[in-house]
Amino acid sequence: MQKLLLFIDKLSTWVGQAFSFCIVVLTLHISWEVFSRYVLDAPRAWAFDFMIMMYGTLFMMAGAYALSKNSHVRGDVLYGFFRPRTQATLDLTLYFVFFIPGVIALTYAGYTYAADSWRISEHSTITYEGPPIYPFKTVIPLAGAFLMAQGIVEIVRCIICLKQGEWPSRQLDVEEVDVDKLKEELHVKDEDIQKLDKYVVQQERHK
Amino acid sequence: MKLRKELWFGFALMAIIITPSLVFMPWGNITNGHLGLLMLALIVVAIMLGFPTAFTLMGMGVFFSWLYYRSVDPQLAVQQVLDLFVQRTYGVMSNDVLIAIPLFLFMGYLVERAKLIDRLFRSLHLATAGVPGSLAVATIVTCAIFATATGIVGAVVTLMGLLAFPAMLKAGYNVKIAAGAVTAGGCLGILIPPSVLLIVYGAVAGVSVVQLYAGAFLPGFMLAGLYIGYVILLAKWKPHLMPPLAESERYVPLPPLAQRLAQQNRNALIGLWRALTGGAGAGVAKHTVLGQFFVALLPALVIVAILGVTYQAVTAPVIEASTAGLVEAGGLVAAPVEEQESTGLIGAPEAEADKSGVQEPPAEGAKEVAPPPAAEAAKPEVVETTAAAELERLPAPTWFWVVCGIAIALLAIRYRRLNWQRLEIFKMLLTSFFPLALMILAVLGSIVVGLATPSEAAAVGAFGGFILAGAYRFIAYWQEGKSSGKNTGKVIWSTVKELGVIVKESSFLTAKTSAMVCWLFVGSGIFAAAFALLGGQELIEKWVLSLDMTPLQFMILAQFIIFILGWPLEWTEIIIIFMPIFIPLLQHFNIDPLFFGLLVALNLQTAFLSPPVAMAAFYLKGVSPPHVTLNQIFAGMMPFMGIQVIALILLYTFPQIGLWLPQVFYNK
Repeated sequence: MQKLLLFIDKLSTWVGQAFSFCIVVLTLHISWEVFSRYVLDAPRAWAFDFMIMMYGTLFMMAGAYALSKNSHVRGDVLYGFFRPRTQATLDLTLYFVFFIPGVIALTYAGYTYAADSWRISEHSTITYEGPPIYPFKTVIPLAGAFLMAQGIVEIVRCIICLKQGEWPSRQLDVEEVDVDKLKEELHVKDEDIQKLDKYVVQQERHK
Repeated sequence: MKLRKELWFGFALMAIIITPSLVFMPWGNITNGHLGLLMLALIVVAIMLGFPTAFTLMGMGVFFSWLYYRSVDPQLAVQQVLDLFVQRTYGVMSNDVLIAIPLFLFMGYLVERAKLIDRLFRSLHLATAGVPGSLAVATIVTCAIFATATGIVGAVVTLMGLLAFPAMLKAGYNVKIAAGAVTAGGCLGILIPPSVLLIVYGAVAGVSVVQLYAGAFLPGFMLAGLYIGYVILLAKWKPHLMPPLAESERYVPLPPLAQRLAQQNRNALIGLWRALTGGAGAGVAKHTVLGQFFVALLPALVIVAILGVTYQAVTAPVIEASTAGLVEAGGLVAAPVEEQESTGLIGAPEAEADKSGVQEPPAEGAKEVAPPPAAEAAKPEVVETTAAAELERLPAPTWFWVVCGIAIALLAIRYRRLNWQRLEIFKMLLTSFFPLALMILAVLGSIVVGLATPSEAAAVGAFGGFILAGAYRFIAYWQEGKSSGKNTGKVIWSTVKELGVIVKESSFLTAKTSAMVCWLFVGSGIFAAAFALLGGQELIEKWVLSLDMTPLQFMILAQFIIFILGWPLEWTEIIIIFMPIFIPLLQHFNIDPLFFGLLVALNLQTAFLSPPVAMAAFYLKGVSPPHVTLNQIFAGMMPFMGIQVIALILLYTFPQIGLWLPQVFYNK
């Protein structure tokens, strides 16, 4: 059981990270398209469709990844002040009240939506003879399924927290503000910051 | 259970929201509209419970839209909810405005990892060394540039907290002022385009992001300017708060070439010229001197080029405008204004450098008074001959000559004061400040002038960020390699390896952050649909209109509500969830959604600095010495928050600050 959960956690991370390279493709694609249009005067008809697909796939498939790394925005006014057990109780309840109905609805609706699209082998109508769009619509149920799986992992995490009184640790991942890394980058050591204290103390004494 | 003060406050707030909605609910005959209002009250409370907001919205939206459909036709309800939900989701996935978000985020993460902030800060603080409160000024300028390029508040504040904060403390700056400059500067990226906040607002309100960018440009720089003005005034008024830098702190080491030439002539331009023409520069390689001479002339060349292009643009339309339509004329009028912008920006640091000359110790100033006449005569001549040649073509408007005159005057002053130290500082700026500033200007300029859509410009900007990161890493490795004797192949290899890591990390961060923002849109899609279906919007509109407010009152009320919401909620939540309620009301009061958006952006920036939730303060506290307390940081932020409020009032009283550029460019 434990292993399976760990596996799902890793899988969502891996899938999210794999699809995050969509942004590199997207950047290169648009840069080339701009160059091709303005300099070579040779725009490609499917460029816009491809842009949209890359963007949509990127963020949809990263949903579970963001959940696994706790990056979805939370209202942090009160939550941060709760003790872990209180946090876990609240989260557990709300996973059942909000998350599961919402994500199941998304996955199921997405499934029928994509199935319809596959059946008629739908193509984009933005340009004449646009690219096929059914793979893109398939992303919705797929992202929903990964999200659901990750949601179950999170629910178990809440239960573990309720039992142990503290949150089980998450796997490390690159963070937006990684203080240690930034310190290293600027060659600032903790002692240096400590040394600065004398200036602050000095100022206070002057008052 | 013992509750802490914060908890009491939070629960009290929840009760304040829930109780009236329960009390005033007409329990006898609940209409759908009332359900909508109840839903709105519940969502505020539910968000405060701390569950990931995207899913809170999703769950609520699904439930309430089901309630609505059930009241219409219980049989079809489930299917209709599902259809609605998936269509809304697909709408977010194929939204061509939101696509710019991951691209700008990617650009930001790449630039942040280019590791150029310390170069930027060092060169700017040397360039501003003579201005009162120079370190604080340099901090704010660095923040403005860097925050604009990256848009990541946390990273900018942390970096500056590690870099500028210690420097200011060592120089004897007051802790509060140092903290205020770092935190206020770090938050500038929220407002100055290309900011993600404006894209999100544009997507929600249906306002063109291009126009929002054009509009936010001046207010953003106005705010930065007000910060700088405040710091300079304060430093003049109370010098003990921000003592001037010690001579050793602003010493610029000269390269051997410059040292030798400096003995002969204090002015760099003349010195280089003499060395070049043969006379004095004995023992110095000619091509090095030529290179230096070219660098020294660069600002003049750029300004001449800009003036030339402007001249062409100004004089040309007289013929063309008569034949070409309005659109063409609009574009042509737009061009010179953009040129002016860039002149101003490039000119700014020089102007500052000039000012620094004026305030330098008298001993040095006295020496400088003896002006080498040749420089003065030579410089304007170059400009004037080009201008004179063009004069024969067509008369240019007066303002052009005024700008021309100012530019020449600035150039003349600059070259007269150009000693060897200044040349070194200029070279440092050339490698740190200008590449980034140019990149931002190119990205913004191409959007605002209409060459590229925001997403295209963002992609090219991300590509530029990639090249920037690569170039700076390469230079760093190259310098390292030169001292340790590594060959070029190895240097390139280690650059490529690090670049790979940078791209990988930036992609992961981009994926996570865009998932956060866009899933919020997915959740709010169904939520807003449910709210509209239930008719909550109509009820609110009716209620607001029955209050019979003047536009001014409405505006103040709206901004106040947004400010209050900024306390418990993040800006993403405020804009995505609550803006859709405000936007339809705007037309009743004849308020331009574009103008409203600018006010909202400025307002939400204040939220970043308002205690006790101001994130910036906590980031700074995380890297500051133990004796710096949170209260000191908050106290330092207060004056800057006051300036923000002043900026808000200024923008409201003079809407032209925000609307002038969009009007010029799009005839809005």
